[in-house]
Amino acid sequence: MKGAIIRLGLLVVLLAIISRAQVLRADAGTPVTLAAGALLLCGLFAGKVAKGLGLPRLTGYLLVGVAVGPYALGFIPNAGVKGLELVKGLAVSLIALVAGTELRLGLIRRVGARVALLCAGVCGLTFLVSFGALFAFKPLLPFMASMTVTQALAVSALVATVVVSFSPTVTIAIVQETSARGSFTEFLMALVIIGDLFVMVAFALAAGVTKASFGGGLDVAELLGGVGWELFGSVGVGCVLAVAVLVYMRGVKQELPLFLVGLSFAAAEGGARLHLSPLLISLAAGALIANLDERAGERIHHAIQQAGLPVFALFFAAAGAGLKLDALVTVGPVALLLVGLRGAAIWFSCRKLAPVDDPRLKRYLWMGLISQAGVTFGLAALVTRTFPSFGSHVEVLIVAMITAHELVGPVLTRRALAASGEIRTDEAAGTA
Amino acid sequence: MQALLVLLSIAALSLLASSRGLDPGRFPALARLAASGFLFLLMGILLGPSVVGLLTPGNLESLRPMMALGLGIAGVILGLNLEPRLLRLLPRPVYSAALAHAGTAFFFVALPLVAPLLLTSGLSPQAAVGAAALLGAAASLSSGHFAVLAYRAGRMDRARGLGVALLTMLDDAVGMGVLALALVLGAASNLGEGLGLVCLAVLLGVLCGALLAFLTHSLKDPAELTTVTLGGVALVAGAAAYLRVSALLAGVACGATLALVGGRTAERVSRALARVERPAFLVLVFLVGCAVHARDWSAWALVPGFVGLRFLGKVLGGKLAQRLAGSTLELPPRLGYALIAQGGLALCLVAEYGMLVPGGLSQRVLDVVVVGAVVNELLAGQAFRQVLGPAQAPARAQPDVEVAT
Repeated sequence: MKGAIIRLGLLVVLLAIISRAQVLRADAGTPVTLAAGALLLCGLFAGKVAKGLGLPRLTGYLLVGVAVGPYALGFIPNAGVKGLELVKGLAVSLIALVAGTELRLGLIRRVGARVALLCAGVCGLTFLVSFGALFAFKPLLPFMASMTVTQALAVSALVATVVVSFSPTVTIAIVQETSARGSFTEFLMALVIIGDLFVMVAFALAAGVTKASFGGGLDVAELLGGVGWELFGSVGVGCVLAVAVLVYMRGVKQELPLFLVGLSFAAAEGGARLHLSPLLISLAAGALIANLDERAGERIHHAIQQAGLPVFALFFAAAGAGLKLDALVTVGPVALLLVGLRGAAIWFSCRKLAPVDDPRLKRYLWMGLISQAGVTFGLAALVTRTFPSFGSHVEVLIVAMITAHELVGPVLTRRALAASGEIRTDEAAGTA
Repeated sequence: MQALLVLLSIAALSLLASSRGLDPGRFPALARLAASGFLFLLMGILLGPSVVGLLTPGNLESLRPMMALGLGIAGVILGLNLEPRLLRLLPRPVYSAALAHAGTAFFFVALPLVAPLLLTSGLSPQAAVGAAALLGAAASLSSGHFAVLAYRAGRMDRARGLGVALLTMLDDAVGMGVLALALVLGAASNLGEGLGLVCLAVLLGVLCGALLAFLTHSLKDPAELTTVTLGGVALVAGAAAYLRVSALLAGVACGATLALVGGRTAERVSRALARVERPAFLVLVFLVGCAVHARDWSAWALVPGFVGLRFLGKVLGGKLAQRLAGSTLELPPRLGYALIAQGGLALCLVAEYGMLVPGGLSQRVLDVVVVGAVVNELLAGQAFRQVLGPAQAPARAQPDVEVAT
């Protein structure tokens, strides 16, 4: 660990020199490549330091991103972090593609119904608690203070759906890091993925109702069409991509990593532009490939697994660098209260509703559901775009919550996997 | 969206280049361009702002980080090849031969073309000399990929193939030296500042190279080594791009420092980088192609002169090189014909010049060299048959893949 600390220190010194040298130059060039390189290297060694301290590597990636990012030491300019949005999209798609290759029909048959049932319970209860709390906090939240009761109820419902969301990326990353395998891990991964499907549907419905409460009118057909397009359209596009991958793999047999990177970019960029879910597209593609051709699924898994370490390190370090620490100051108390209530609701629902046949689910599952990251960021940004009058305030609140969840979530997820006894090793090649 | 377009185009071209439909027997020139990566260059020209316009100048501007990364990777790979132990072992005639073929082509192109550049651009003599020097530098570079493919396929004696490859590797130093000179002349408002920026690039590269050597020193896990290598290359290229100095020169300095102080780590880094060399090269040439102004007729007018003068320079320079190193290095007859392929480094030089030296002259240099490189790649296939002789000339073009650096 000492070596990692020295290396991390030297990297930070070099970044400080570059940052100082830039001040002497009249015009700055693009900082995106610098941000990518610096966050990748700092993330890797911070991950090692975190591991030495008994924390998940992911926590190290996030913390070092926060430290060298624009809101703390400022060695990496904001434009550099923003320029990594494409990388973030790519990372989410690659992670989802790998996760998809693990969604075999057998697994879905085994745990699908039980997971869906528990997920409905956890999401429902967490939604109700968050919804009630937000409505009760109306006087404390400036953006809700002037709203009518109907509007405040609608906005509370909208924000509560975002508060409920989980983080498949963090969960999958921690599972990869620890090489965890077993029924508990399968249950957890399936739950966060299905949970996000629930959240997508609920968010679309809540957004429609909120629009109506602000005088936009409620077009039920359009609303259902939008939800259906996002869900079934994503699965459909994922299936088309899966066929394209299989055809490529059978016909070309080379440059597979390059092709997969291109495809993941297509899923991330094209999906966002077509109002589809990039996560769902890649999940569906990965799942279909693995179920149609097991060997192809393994090849994809192996190809992306090799690239797992840089993808995770860069993705989470960039996420850390993008965390607006000042948001914690402005809406901190309310956000922390919501974080506490959400955690309590998840804990309570897991204790009461988890299947009785596996006592580990009742005791430890809640810890794996605390993290929030990419999906929540995306929904918060969508609120800003859809409701410009109050959306930016909601985004600040959500980002403050994400900051807290990103710092404690990975630690709790790892603790849950460790307590379940399914962690195999911390040193799997190519893991986070 | 633009990055998506770039990657989709490259994936599509990978598919085309690897498909059975691209039969070297039926489409030898196209297959050769695909194998050397120059098909991506043509695709870039086609999709770029000046032809179809799928990528706008604004898109290209936002893709600069990818360009900088590509240049950084090329520079580090080049620097890693400068292994001091091997360079010291080479006899002096080998250096003289490399300098002869590169220098002859340089002067054959740079001197005659300085006048048209000066007359058509209306810029200062200093800028025109810088641009002509860069044309000469691009002309002086050769790629040894034909010789490498020929000896791998058993169509050429291994020693001769390696001799050609060695000479083409050494001429890279001429190219890099002239790039530094051209940047001193053109990248800043005065010579002192230009020199300072070149020194800053080199210093940055040395710092990053030393740090990379330290970071990778005790890493045993291949995944970690690859990650640190990629991160280090991105750091040096990114820092150079951020400070608006040459990513290519910084990369070379980084690679050379790593080769000097890294010991066995340098070999492992080199192997790790080799995995991303071809994808990075393909993205880079695609982006260079996008940057071409296909409607600059003055540039088109210069292309025949550039190609013709370079051809003459290489043929005569080859003879001179053979005379100088014939006794110490096994070289094929008609060496000059083996040096016609221009390779990817010439594209890196002009891309870097275009990024750092504002104005129309750097754009014209890029246009001339890019079109010239494609023509030279096509000419090189025919010219290389002269080196092999009728008995050894292949009936069909080989479908091998080799990065044309």
